[in-house]
Amino acid sequence: MYAALQRDFAEALTDPGRAVPKDIAACHADDAARRFSIYRNNVAVALIDALAARFPVTQQIVGDDFFKILAHLFIAAHPPASPLMMFYGEDFPGFIASFEAAKDIAYLPDIARLEAARTRAYHAEDAAPLDAAVLRAIEAKDLGDVRFSLHPSVEIIASAYPIVTILAMHMGGIPLAEITDWQSEDALVSRPYLDVDIRCLPPGSAAFLHALSGGHTLAQAVEYAVAAHSDFDLGINLALLFNAGLVTSLSIVSPEDMSP
Amino acid sequence: MMTVKTNVAGISLAGSLATALALLSGPASAGPAPAQPTMDKCYGVSLKAQNDCAAGAGTSCAGTSKADYDPAAWKYVAKGTCETISTPKGMGSLKAKS
Repeated sequence: MYAALQRDFAEALTDPGRAVPKDIAACHADDAARRFSIYRNNVAVALIDALAARFPVTQQIVGDDFFKILAHLFIAAHPPASPLMMFYGEDFPGFIASFEAAKDIAYLPDIARLEAARTRAYHAEDAAPLDAAVLRAIEAKDLGDVRFSLHPSVEIIASAYPIVTILAMHMGGIPLAEITDWQSEDALVSRPYLDVDIRCLPPGSAAFLHALSGGHTLAQAVEYAVAAHSDFDLGINLALLFNAGLVTSLSIVSPEDMSP
Repeated sequence: MMTVKTNVAGISLAGSLATALALLSGPASAGPAPAQPTMDKCYGVSLKAQNDCAAGAGTSCAGTSKADYDPAAWKYVAKGTCETISTPKGMGSLKAKS
């Protein structure tokens, strides 16, 4: 009996069209509906606030009113599947991409993807980045056989739009101004220490990092990177791996070691 | 015995390693500034967007669930700061299609 009541209660909470569960009573008969609506409102407001907390730049770009509607429609379609509110909204970027009224802001879904990745990086497992000194100990002949373990927080959000610049402008990192150099940017999201770091990757880096995180050797990753972008610069990317604290361990596996 | 790889896709491994080490040791690094390690994990000070629960949010008792956030009352258009951003199709315009 309680299970049925709880189910009715939960379903009625998120659906204003449904009647108040019949077992809900108040001292005055007509108070039940009014009081239940307070409950309903709090659930909606809390979830909208959770989305606004995770997607502040998305909210800033469309404005509060638009965001409230967008969030409310999302909540109805994607109620929380977990009590961990910091991860609520994993599907929000995809929902925005399919949202007709937001189509004019073509870069908005990618901004939301970047904000979602930011929260995941924040809550990713801690790991100590490897010091660049280990790179000095590697001989050039072994470099191609090196495999890197990347930090658990590392994520790449590739975009056809200048999402890193747009995000930085809205977060106050750089002054708000017209973006005259409108081009695609791949964002690197990581949290080597306590703060989430978002930066724009150089050409070919996204393919390079994807290959490394997939367990490929450096030589294989370079081939992927050059195929993706002929301007790929290995020197800059090796420096980036250590400057940005992306590597947590490395190993050298020569082809001879791998054969039986 | 395998031949030692010195080049991959036309890129010299030794040259790249030297470049990387120079970038990493130079005072005026051409790469991004190294992150400053911070050691203390402090609780209770996380930013709004980064805390672990939404407790406290939505605790007001406005009691207007049917009036507020009614999808049927759609009348808003997107607005905001991105109107300063130009795109290949001209300046950003956030007027939603009617």
